[in-house]
Amino acid sequence: MKTLKNHLGLITSLVIVILIAIAPIVSGNAASREVVFTILRAIVLASSLNILLGYTGYVSFGHIVFFGFGGYVGFYLITAQGQSLWVAMLAGGVVSGLLAYLLGKAILRLRGAYFALATIGVNEAVRAFINNFEPFGGPTGMTMNFSVYQEYGGAMKALEMSFYIMLVLALLVVVLSYVVRTSKFGLGLLAIREDEDAAEVMGVVAPDAKTWAFVLSAIFPGMVGALFFFKNGSVEPLDAFPLHTSIEMIVMVMLGGQGTVLGPILGAAGYQRMRGLLVTSPIFKNIQLAVSGGLLLLIVLFVPAGVIGWARQRWPKLRRVLQ
Amino acid sequence: MKRSFTILLALVLALSLVLAACQPKAPAATETSGGESGGETTAKTQTLVIGFTASQTGKYNVSSGRQVNGLNLWMKQINEAGGIKLSDGTVVTFKAVSYDDESNKDRVQELYTRLATEDNADLLISPYSSGLTAAAAVIAEQYGKVMLTTGAASDATYKQGYTKVFQMYTPASRYLTGAVDLLAKTDPSVKKVAFVYENSKFSTAVVEAAKEYAASKGYDVVLFEGYDPETTDFGPFINKIQDAGAEAILGGGHFQDGSAFARQLYEKNVPVKFVTLLVAPPEPDFADLGDAAVGIIGPSQWEPLAAFKPDFGPTGKEFEDAYMAAYSEEPSYHSAGGYAAGLVLEKAIRDADSTDPDAIKAALDNMDLTLFFGKIKFDTSPEAHGLQIGHSMIYIQWQKDGDKLGKQVVWPEDGATAEVLYPLH
Repeated sequence: MKTLKNHLGLITSLVIVILIAIAPIVSGNAASREVVFTILRAIVLASSLNILLGYTGYVSFGHIVFFGFGGYVGFYLITAQGQSLWVAMLAGGVVSGLLAYLLGKAILRLRGAYFALATIGVNEAVRAFINNFEPFGGPTGMTMNFSVYQEYGGAMKALEMSFYIMLVLALLVVVLSYVVRTSKFGLGLLAIREDEDAAEVMGVVAPDAKTWAFVLSAIFPGMVGALFFFKNGSVEPLDAFPLHTSIEMIVMVMLGGQGTVLGPILGAAGYQRMRGLLVTSPIFKNIQLAVSGGLLLLIVLFVPAGVIGWARQRWPKLRRVLQ
Repeated sequence: MKRSFTILLALVLALSLVLAACQPKAPAATETSGGESGGETTAKTQTLVIGFTASQTGKYNVSSGRQVNGLNLWMKQINEAGGIKLSDGTVVTFKAVSYDDESNKDRVQELYTRLATEDNADLLISPYSSGLTAAAAVIAEQYGKVMLTTGAASDATYKQGYTKVFQMYTPASRYLTGAVDLLAKTDPSVKKVAFVYENSKFSTAVVEAAKEYAASKGYDVVLFEGYDPETTDFGPFINKIQDAGAEAILGGGHFQDGSAFARQLYEKNVPVKFVTLLVAPPEPDFADLGDAAVGIIGPSQWEPLAAFKPDFGPTGKEFEDAYMAAYSEEPSYHSAGGYAAGLVLEKAIRDADSTDPDAIKAALDNMDLTLFFGKIKFDTSPEAHGLQIGHSMIYIQWQKDGDKLGKQVVWPEDGATAEVLYPLH
């Protein structure tokens, strides 16, 4: 019982993710399932980014590079090597982590705006590389035969399965985020966020800690990329490395509350649901981007710490639950 | 202040929790209809729902918008004419349901699933562009919905084992092959060809197929070089073209780069006899290049000038007049593609004499007709089902009549309005 009480923050976060996903599971409604798939994908991406942005304080404007790179490697393994989705996702996660490790060694020495700029450069460089890399189809990308879905019981089953895999990934990333936040390693990251020089004086090996935070924040986007493009049936450079999605990831983290476990979940769900509703709303559909921009502006102006950050300040007693 | 915070918090929580967890209601999508509403069948009238996403925002906005205009014009006309009368007395009318896909793939599958399941779309039209269409095709096939694709020229989508997806456009693999035929017919002595193209999905797919075709026709491909989509200085490429001794250039990509390339070829007086570029030349704004535009050839899916004799639907002139009256602008080939997609659906329903999806699919499989848009016939082999094999590109060339610069159709011969201006230099 005491253990449960100690991990109330984790339990709350997991329950909220399950609540978000429960409607299509109960009703079996395909349209609802697709909506929630988009939300869960956003939760995985935002929670992953939060490990770097929220805990460590490093803004990565090109974080989508891991989604694209992992997606490409996974898609290549499925279409050209005949591997299963499981191998593809695993490989997508591993190569993204590896890419983050190598990049981390090189660019995490930069701080502030210089690091942010470097991440944009990395995204563009990887996209240019893929654009000229023939085994990955160069600029034309790759397409998957419809018959591949037969191995998973047909397209209908494959798409349904993708949803459940995404739900598992979302739950796993929440656990990872919580474990990092409550570990000694996580405390080191929070110290770096507050003052990197002071953290080093206190014994935090900042370059190593930052690199591992970067790696952890890259693995799940890589796996999600492999799953997303498997479900889409095709991949091409422009779809795999959209800079605007990187920015949306940052917005989702800020909206919910950076540096918290629950914040990115609420931020991602709220942002995606808002976009989804505006896109299909008869009143707002033609001005949906302007409306969502305006709403974001209001929230950032009045709740700069994000929803969870503000709630934690407002009701200190709830801090155990709202982590 | 506290109160406003509370309201904001309530708003955000409401958005993130309640709405996300709740069963989403059927959205109120854009609905266009000139006939019966509700998508319900009565004894005599049946309204078919045509579902699609359009790029109302994002980079495909203009092209996609024109495509939708074309489709809506057809729908308005057919509904105003009383719909399609089947032999059993049923009158078929149409209603469109559409959403904004924001020109990106993120929500395409989500929205097409909604169209197929919540909006009960009977027939689907593809989004604009090959990338978005590839994602939508998975859903169309999964739910057994016939989908006509417009604005999606890539061949790859139709070679993935789909059986319900049908292409309206000439595929990328045949985009430039007509230019090779035109060159061979005009001057058999030319042998050295250079391909200089934008390093993007569409252009690369086009030139790779054209290169293979040119090689099979005995041409010597002396240069095959891609350039970055942002390229503005073509000097290095022009030097390479000259060094390679190319007599003809094929390539280009989109409007900006294609225009810059044509202008710089003219300014540097590059001694080539034949230049064909993708996308840019058919655009009316290409005339802004003045003398640099003269002689440049470009492929187009459709041109108002083209003199096809349709065996179904309006003539090109009738379509152009109706479009001008409805939207006060010249129709582009995207508009024509959207309208023609509607005509093809109409013809398939008439041929099938039914609204049964399998009967409509069978009618599309057997279709072989000429519209104002050109010939329409679909591949029915399992390897490339739905690939367009009837339609051909039209090649226009900018020519001067006195001081007046204008487009002329120079290929194919049966649609030509003028002799090709050759050689360029």
